[in-house]
Order: sequence, then C-alpha cells, then structure tokens
Amino acid sequence: MQHAAAAARILDTAGLAGAQYADVQFWTLRQEDVWVRNGDVRNASEGSSAGYGVRALVDGSWGFFGSDRFDDAAFDTAAARATANAKSGTKVGDRIPAVQPTAKIVAHYETPMTRDPASVGLGERARFLLAAESAGHVAKNVISGYAFMTIYTTTKEFHSTTGSAITQVLRQAGAGCGVSAIGRDQDVQSRGGPGDFGLYQGGGYEVVERANLHARMPEYGREAVILADAPRLPSGVRDVILDGSVLNLQMHESIGHALELDRALGWEANFSGVSWATPDQVGKLRYGSDLLNVYADNALPLGLATVGYDDEGVKPARVPLVEGGILRAFLSSRDTAEQTNLPQTASLRAQDWSCVPIVRMTNIVLAPHEGTLDSIVADTKDGLYVAGIRSWSIDDHRLNFQFGPQIGYEIKNGKRGRIFKQPTYTGISPRFWGSMDRVGGPEDFVVWGTPNCGKGEPEQAGRTTHACSVARFRGVTVGVKTDA
Amino acid sequence: MRDQDRALSLAEHVLRAAAGADQAQVNVTVSDASYSRFARNYVIQNLGSVSTQITLTYYVGQKAGSISTDDTSPASIAHLVASAREIALRVPPDHGFVSLPKPAPIAPAARSYYDATADATPDDRVEKLLPLFARMKSAQLSSAGFTTTQINTTAVANSLGVRAAFTGTMSGLQLKAMAELTSGYAEYYGPDYGRLDAAAVAERAATKATVSREPATFAPGNVTVLLEPSAFAAALKALTQAMGADSVLEDKDSWMAGRIGRRLFSPNVTLRDDWSHPLFANPPFNVNDGAPTKKLTLIDRGVVEHYVSSTYSANKYHVPNTGHPNFPANGVIEPGMKSRAELLASIEHGVLISRTWYERVVDPRQASITGITRDGVYLIENGKLTRALKNFRYFVSMLDAFKDIEFSNAQVLTEPDSDTGYSSVLPDAKIAKYHLAAQTSFA
Repeated sequence: MQHAAAAARILDTAGLAGAQYADVQFWTLRQEDVWVRNGDVRNASEGSSAGYGVRALVDGSWGFFGSDRFDDAAFDTAAARATANAKSGTKVGDRIPAVQPTAKIVAHYETPMTRDPASVGLGERARFLLAAESAGHVAKNVISGYAFMTIYTTTKEFHSTTGSAITQVLRQAGAGCGVSAIGRDQDVQSRGGPGDFGLYQGGGYEVVERANLHARMPEYGREAVILADAPRLPSGVRDVILDGSVLNLQMHESIGHALELDRALGWEANFSGVSWATPDQVGKLRYGSDLLNVYADNALPLGLATVGYDDEGVKPARVPLVEGGILRAFLSSRDTAEQTNLPQTASLRAQDWSCVPIVRMTNIVLAPHEGTLDSIVADTKDGLYVAGIRSWSIDDHRLNFQFGPQIGYEIKNGKRGRIFKQPTYTGISPRFWGSMDRVGGPEDFVVWGTPNCGKGEPEQAGRTTHACSVARFRGVTVGVKTDA
Repeated sequence: MRDQDRALSLAEHVLRAAAGADQAQVNVTVSDASYSRFARNYVIQNLGSVSTQITLTYYVGQKAGSISTDDTSPASIAHLVASAREIALRVPPDHGFVSLPKPAPIAPAARSYYDATADATPDDRVEKLLPLFARMKSAQLSSAGFTTTQINTTAVANSLGVRAAFTGTMSGLQLKAMAELTSGYAEYYGPDYGRLDAAAVAERAATKATVSREPATFAPGNVTVLLEPSAFAAALKALTQAMGADSVLEDKDSWMAGRIGRRLFSPNVTLRDDWSHPLFANPPFNVNDGAPTKKLTLIDRGVVEHYVSSTYSANKYHVPNTGHPNFPANGVIEPGMKSRAELLASIEHGVLISRTWYERVVDPRQASITGITRDGVYLIENGKLTRALKNFRYFVSMLDAFKDIEFSNAQVLTEPDSDTGYSSVLPDAKIAKYHLAAQTSFA
C-alpha cells in the first residue's frame, strides 16, 4: 500500500478533530487524448492528476475535502477541513443523519484488458485516426471530419477508520469519428458515432480497435452527403425502431437518471432534478412493457463504471431495477439505501479526488430478448428506423423527452426506404417504455457508455454504461413541429 | 497578489525546463473552492478542495505535444517536459498552427479579490443558510441548492515572452424552493460573498413558489415571455457559442457566417465583451494563450459587428486576434430603461420563465434551439404573476426572438455556463414572440 502511512495520519487527524468515522481515497488519474480534424492532429495530449479525498462523519453529517498536496502539513489540513466541514453541517436541526459505515474490506481489483495501450505509440495512434478520418471524405461536399481516441487509467487506494484497505486499477477507453456535409441549399448535416458520441468501454486499446472507425467513416460520409439534401421527417405517429446508438442514450436519460436514489429523495433537485419514480412505488409502479427488464451490474464486463468496489467501499452486485416492466429498485449509496430499505448497488462515485462521492448512474443493462435489427425491420410494416444522436433534452422529472437522431430511414413493408434529415421523436417515459413491443437479441447487444455524464454541485463528470440491443416502440410521435 | 505571483513563478520554472522547444507555453491554474449543498432544508454535503494544475504545450515546428499534471515536484516537471517533447516529435503537424502569441501590453485587471469570499469558513456558509431554511420552513417549502466560495488563479507564460496572471474570488447561492406542486428559483453570483443577502434570495424564490398552489395548463403557441437572467443566459448562448472565428470561418454553419454588418436584431440589442465590467472578476487576457483580451462591441444596436478570435484562429484565418477563447468570454448585454417591475407590468398576457435546461441547437444557421423550462414558470396577466404553470418545451430561433426584445435596467452576473465555465452580465429580457411548443404534466 503506497499511501498507508499518509492515510493513517489523515484518519488519525480526523479522529482527533472529532470525526466518528473517516475514510480517505488516494487517486492517480491519467488521460491520453488524440483528436484529428480535417487531416490535422488538433490535439495530442496527456493529463495526469494525483490527489486524495477525505470524508469525515460527525453526528451524522458528512464533510469532504480534496487535496493534491502531498506533505504532512497538507494531510493535516485536509483532515481538519473535512472534519470542520462535517461539523458545520450539524448546526442545522431537523436533518436526516447519515449512516456510519462499519464494514472492513481488504481487497484488490484490476480491469482486465487484452491490449495494453502502452504498446501503441502516439504516432501510431495519430496515423490510425488520420487514416480513419480521411476515409470519411467521400465527396466534395463533405466539409469536415474528425476522429478521436481517449485512454483512461485510474488507480485508487481506499483506507477507512474501520480498517478497510482497497486498491484498484481501472482502465477505460473510447473512440469515435464523424463527418459533416453541406447541401445544395447550404444546409449542414452530420453523421458520426459509433454509439451516441463514440464507443466507450472498460478495457485497454482493444476498445479503440473494437470501435472500427475505418469501416464506419465511409458509411458516415455517404449518409451525411445524402442527409445534406434530404427532406425533413414529416410530423406524424409511427412505429419507431431505435438503433443502439439512440436507445442507449434514451435509457441513460429516462431510466438511468430517473432511478438514481439521491435524485428521487430530492438531493439533486436544484441541478440534476428529481424523478417521477419514487421509492414508495417499488413493486407497484409500471415503468414499461413486460419486455422492459433493466438491471444494475457494476461488475459488468466492458462496463465503463465497472469496479471492484465503489468509492465508499461497497462491492457491486447485480440488482434488478425494472422486472417485467415493474419498478424493483434504484441506484443507491449506503446512506440512500438505508433511508429507503432498498438494496445497495455500489453506485457512490466521485469524478476524481477533488470531488465528493455522490450517487451516480453506473452500469445499467436492458436485458436483450430476441431478433436482430434486420428481422425487426422486416417485421415492421410502416415505421421509422433512427440512428445517431444530434440533440436531445428531457425535463427535470425525467418524464417528457425529445430526441433528435442524426438519420431516419423510412420503413415500408419491412424494408428500409427514404432517408430523412433531422428526425425527431418525443414521448413521456412510462408511456414510451410501455409501447416497447420488440427488444432485440444478443446479436446487436453492445455495452455502450458515456464518459461525461454531468451531475452534482460542483458539476462532476461520471462514466456510465447503458448496455442494450435495439428496440421497437409503437405509436411514437415523430417529426416534431418547431414553427407551429 | 501572492497566488498569481506563485502561479506565474511556477509557469516560468516549467518553461525554463522546456527551453529546447521551438515554442512552448505553460498554463497554471490554482483553485481553492468550497461548497455547502443543501436539500430538504438541511445541509447534505459540506465540501471543499484545493488543486494546482500545470499544462505544458511543447512545439516542434507545427507539431505539438500537450501534457498536464498537478504534481509540482522536480521529477514530475522533468517527466512533463520529456513527455510533451516526445508527443510533439511523434505526432503529425497541425497545419493550422502558426505561432504562439508574442508579448503585448495587458491592461491592469479590475478589482477581483474580496476577503469576505476568500476567508469564508464552513460555518460562515452554513450561517448564511440558516435564515434561508427558516424562510422555507415558515412557508412550508422544501429547499435544494448550494452556496459556494472560491479563489481561482490562472497564469500563462510562453517562450516568446508572454507573461499573464490573475487571481479572483467568486461566490454564489442557488436556491430552488419547492412546494408540493410548484417551485420557485433564485440565485446570486458575485465576486464578493459579503454582498450575498441569502434572505433576499430566499424571499424571491419563496414568493414565486407560492404564487399558486397548483400549476395550471396553458395553451402552447407563440407568447410574450419575460426571461429572468438565468433563463436569458441560456437563450443568449444560442448566439454566443457560434461567435468564434472557428465557427464562423471554418465550420460555416454559424448564424454569423455571411451576416457581418447586417442589422439582424432589435436596436435594443447591444452585446459587448468587456472583462472589466464591475460585476465580473475576469482576467484581461485569454486564459488559454495569454493574449490580451480586447473590449469589443459584438452586436451594436442590432447590427452584427464582430466575431471573436484566439491567437490560433487569428493566425490561421489571417484576422485580428481579439484575445478570446472560441466564444465571447465576457458577455454583457446593455440594460434597457425600464425596471424589472415595469417590464413585467408592460405584459398584458404572457409567461415568466426563471430557468431552463437541456438547450440544444436545432439549426445553427438560424440559432434555433429547443429546451425545457424548469423550477418555475408563471402566467402573467395584466402585468402580474397570477398562476404557476406547468413546464414547457420551447423551440425558438434567436434570430427571430431578438428582433423584438426589450431589457430591464437591472444587470446581474449569471451562473457560469456548464460548458465554458464563463458567466455573462445580463438583464431580464422581454421577448415578444417565443414559441412554447408543448406542456409537460407538472411544474
């Protein structure tokens, strides 16, 4: 344990200052980025950061302090400021006291990988991306293209006054690409991916290779060229098939966030919002159709939020969130689970050492059912298949949403037809998920993820996974009028 | 200011270690930030952190390597330089890069440091909140939000001789007051925590939250709206985020492209970029490259005048360097003549919007956005707030909206934008035609 002595000093200092419980987590974070655009390397960078976050508990009130200063005086200051922060919270009466942790865990975890990013030099990474980006310039009216990759490596060392000592090495990576084309009337349309903004998974350089940018870019280029002169999607009501690149973000916004327990308890009301689902509805609330089976699994292979233990030392377990369309549980921390008598999901996470851990959407999975995308298209008489993400928004109760995919294919009698630009669809969460009558099988199942989910005050970026196949929804309002 | 001197000294130290570069730039940021978060009328998290970050960008011709770290030890600095150099040697060139900025006079910063903010303790922050909680409880309201105090330092040094450093304080309070079915929002931002009147913020939020017990429905369509500064900031962003040279000259999908010099908006609209406005605590230089920031009138009485540029984009496109990131970092909308109350009184039938979120650009050429209201929407009848309304989704082209717009005479500093980190100085905005497209089922 590299930081055992510093941890002991910090925990002792916090105890002497009045903390009844304290923990400290030491982090090192490394992020390697390469980003190319229009044939140039616009960014080749590497960032590293090392620091520690101290949590102190005084009379049921949490205090936190993060620091990147590594000397005895700084350790003492961090412990003292965390404890002072905890004490100041006790000035307010009528509060719900936090739970004092009692568990002692000693463990080590590492994210498995098959190709160490260190084996791929920056020059090779840049050439890889430049070649991929170049492949998207399939026509003169392609006006810009980009490709990127990001490699994350995080080490954590957690110590607590209960004797816990947990070390972890977490690895994640992502890659994506896209193009923009301009049409005859100067309309600019874009296509990109994979996924909503790239493929992000737990693992090493194999994630970058799995994103398959070289094969995708020519197709994105051809689609962008068509989109630039394509008609808008007419308003109406249609059956809609969501590609995984859209479905995973739909899950993120209208299931994952809605089932964060701190949000349901009102703790995030000012920024991230609240939730239309509440803990008292567990076991009763119909969230969607019988095909809606969603679970949390923070040990999911390839998951972007997969860990051995969360940031308060809780081991992940697979927890059903929605079963057969019925609400079963929420994403939780030790405190929020205790307050509601619901299961713990090991979802307390911090962005880094400088941030207090908060309840996050972590890995959520829409259980695959049956059928490929092609078979679901073939089974659709009159509908729309949408892919890619252009814009989206949802209200602060996670009920009313609108998504703007990049491309819409009309489906007539089981076949893809015309392409529409700027397709949109809108809905109300329980009605929309209630209209889901097909969920694709494992053939199209992908562990999608996003590296920058915003939540908390100050805002923290979280890495989340929303694994899914494809799905069909009946009677969806599409082609929202914007100028009525 | 000791913090900025230390940061600049650290930047120069790293720069000396990178003496082998054709060009090099070092950015240093130092932050000491504290937050007290509250919900349900008690403090749920009291937190703080201190951090230092060094970023070295090392150039070999047009090839650049950039490395950042928060480790200031000699071994770390040596690794930083070696790694940045290695990247620069290995990556292909960026043909758009011409040069880092050369030294140019930087104006003295306006007052930006306040002891009441810098010295605030956890107890000070919680004591600010106690009257707020009392007001909430007296009205049977539940609260959520935070108060913050921060000291932020930034320094830039480059191998051509640029030296720039700045320290400023910032503070804030955000409050969402919630009744069973309605809510009200209010906020304060400013460099001086001593000026924060938490009780007044609580009063504004509580008054709105209790306009009516239940939110009413309202037929969607085009309606006159009064946007409070927080909501107006999001609307204005539809314009400002596409006012950088990269957007205008390279992407070509900016609403400004081909429209410089044209009168697009109401004569009431004057947008300046002015780091010295007394409500800001902003540096007089581009924090990305250290070039001095010019004060600009971007929109002058409705006429589109200027986009902004950085050293990189100015060199690449052969345009003047305005000393900005790729957007106006110090936006100020000139106030109008009427008070907020007079502006409200001038609306016979309309809607007051306090706050919005999830704004997304639908059509960049038209600066069209969609988004959703939150934390309080209210019916205005004969100049008064009469009912809380359920939330709306809106679709608006800001090119259209800014054609008939009027401002209050009260400017405030708004919340830093979550994408850029920058605030604006804005009044309330009355917009004659705002398209509220669909209503949600709650307030």
